[in-house]
Amino acid sequence: MERRDPAEVATMLDLARYDGRRRFKGSVYLSIGLTLLAALIVWIFPSFRDAMDMDELLAAYPEPVLQVMGIRTMATLEGFLAVELYVFGWIILLGLYLAYSTAGVIADDVDRGRMDVLLSLPISRARVVGEKFAAMAVPIVLVNILTPIVVYVGAPLIDESISGADLLAVHLFSIPYLFACAAIGLLASVVFDRASIAQRVALGVTFALFLVESLLEGTDYEAVGAIAPMRYFDPNEILIESTYAVGDAAVLIGMVIILLLASQFWFRRRDIS
Amino acid sequence: MAAIELAGLTKDYGEVVANDDVTFSVERGEIFGYLGPNGAGKTTTIRALLGLISPTDGTARVLGHDITDESDLLEGKRDIGYLPDSPSFDEGATGRDVLELHARIKGDERSEDLLELFDPPLDREVREYSHGNVRKLGLVLTFMHDPELVILDEPTSGLDPLMQQRFAEFLRAERERGVTVFFSSHVLGEVRRLCDRVAIIREGQLVTVEPVESLLDRSGKVVRLRTAEPVPFERFDPSSLAGVHDLETSLDREDGAADDSEAAFTECTFTFTGDVNALVERVDGIGLLDLSVEEAPLEDIFMRFYGAEDEVGAERSPDSVGRDESEDEVGDEQTHGTARSSGGGDDA
Repeated sequence: MERRDPAEVATMLDLARYDGRRRFKGSVYLSIGLTLLAALIVWIFPSFRDAMDMDELLAAYPEPVLQVMGIRTMATLEGFLAVELYVFGWIILLGLYLAYSTAGVIADDVDRGRMDVLLSLPISRARVVGEKFAAMAVPIVLVNILTPIVVYVGAPLIDESISGADLLAVHLFSIPYLFACAAIGLLASVVFDRASIAQRVALGVTFALFLVESLLEGTDYEAVGAIAPMRYFDPNEILIESTYAVGDAAVLIGMVIILLLASQFWFRRRDIS
Repeated sequence: MAAIELAGLTKDYGEVVANDDVTFSVERGEIFGYLGPNGAGKTTTIRALLGLISPTDGTARVLGHDITDESDLLEGKRDIGYLPDSPSFDEGATGRDVLELHARIKGDERSEDLLELFDPPLDREVREYSHGNVRKLGLVLTFMHDPELVILDEPTSGLDPLMQQRFAEFLRAERERGVTVFFSSHVLGEVRRLCDRVAIIREGQLVTVEPVESLLDRSGKVVRLRTAEPVPFERFDPSSLAGVHDLETSLDREDGAADDSEAAFTECTFTFTGDVNALVERVDGIGLLDLSVEEAPLEDIFMRFYGAEDEVGAERSPDSVGRDESEDEVGDEQTHGTARSSGGGDDA
């Protein structure tokens, strides 16, 4: 292979492709797991629907629980899915997973001495951070491919129907949300030397943001929740009301850019030790 | 333009000054050894040269590029190969994955030739690699883009003696091709076999920079011998054999109960800086059970030739020579030990 000139190298996403390929297999498994969860939730919905009055059940829940889970209604498949699959599976589980997983991308390489070899290559630190973050697109996109298909196909099987557009939208709008959670992990990853610490911090911060956003809603401190990515992605709104908050998605994208730039800035200035 | 120029390079960590005003140059086309005991600051210098850590004072240039300017240094990195002291790659990737990534980013001009010389199992995952195989992969990656300058941190630790030999030949051939080699070591024998010039660092401070020949004359070897019959003390006394230092003897009393250990011995250890032929003459015909001639630990050499400014280096036992700078891997410690004793064996 011939040596490339620097300009050509700069346009390549070699590291992102390498990292992305290495994440592919795990992401497929993750995607299958979440799809099974989705299938299970669709499958159990009829027995819930038929066995009890769901709104009565909801009334039995204490208000804080409804608030934390963002529950509006569970009497329809949309409401049931929004809570059981998208709030629980996407906002909480996947959000935490991506923060945790991304927290390892820089810190683990530094921790294990791999960053020395990587940075001996003619590749800038900002690019290392940027490309490793870009590789997180692999799990983020993959988890959003199989699940909506299974839900869309599964709904008629239980004599329900669900709007394909809403379903598509909830997955599409979850992508900037998941990138924002990953970006929280990225910042932790460049700040802390040890992967285990970076990952714990990322998990803690992400979960705290989730609690802050959901518990402070409706109180005098509601404004504090504005820093939480969870405020800008609402599956209930999309699935039940068919309202697509494009502005919120833009806020999430802004968050991602700010966190990414901050991570790059920090990583350029620090010693690798 | 020198390949490497350090100008007052300083890295102050607060509690320890890892590099204190280090200044020297490495000329193009030479093999330059950076010698010092473990923890002396060799790795700190190397990491600063690669821009991994930023100096607290002073600066350096590699191939004319300023190490404190990231984009300037990036230009230089296209022509630099680097092998860290304990190279590490993605565990789940195969050697070939890593090789292809490096090929895409920095180019590949000679990996095929290198793979014939150092043959890591490319199709296996790195997690299955032995210490030596990781290092072989590291060597291929270091040289594959045909760099003008290679920086190697303790390059032979973890290589078996055969590979060390092959590696030494390889480095000399690289020098013939015009490559500049800068490598660190705590093993004197390795440095003296390979280098044109040597810089010695101790406790963060540069002690000396000199051609390897002048160092050759001044270093010593540790001689240990054991005999069946008691040997008269005079035979290895410094007054009768020039170049004997720190003679320590003991007598196995069961065999020679009548003898006085002050007059004779069956076991002795000393450091020898004299003529090897004279030593061989003295050893001849005394009924040896065992004889070993090894490189003197660096600490001892520093003590003898450069003086101990404080007692930290002096009090270190020879055993501590094998300890890795990061002190993290037991495996490394063992392999350093191997490198040291085989170096001694070569000279014996």
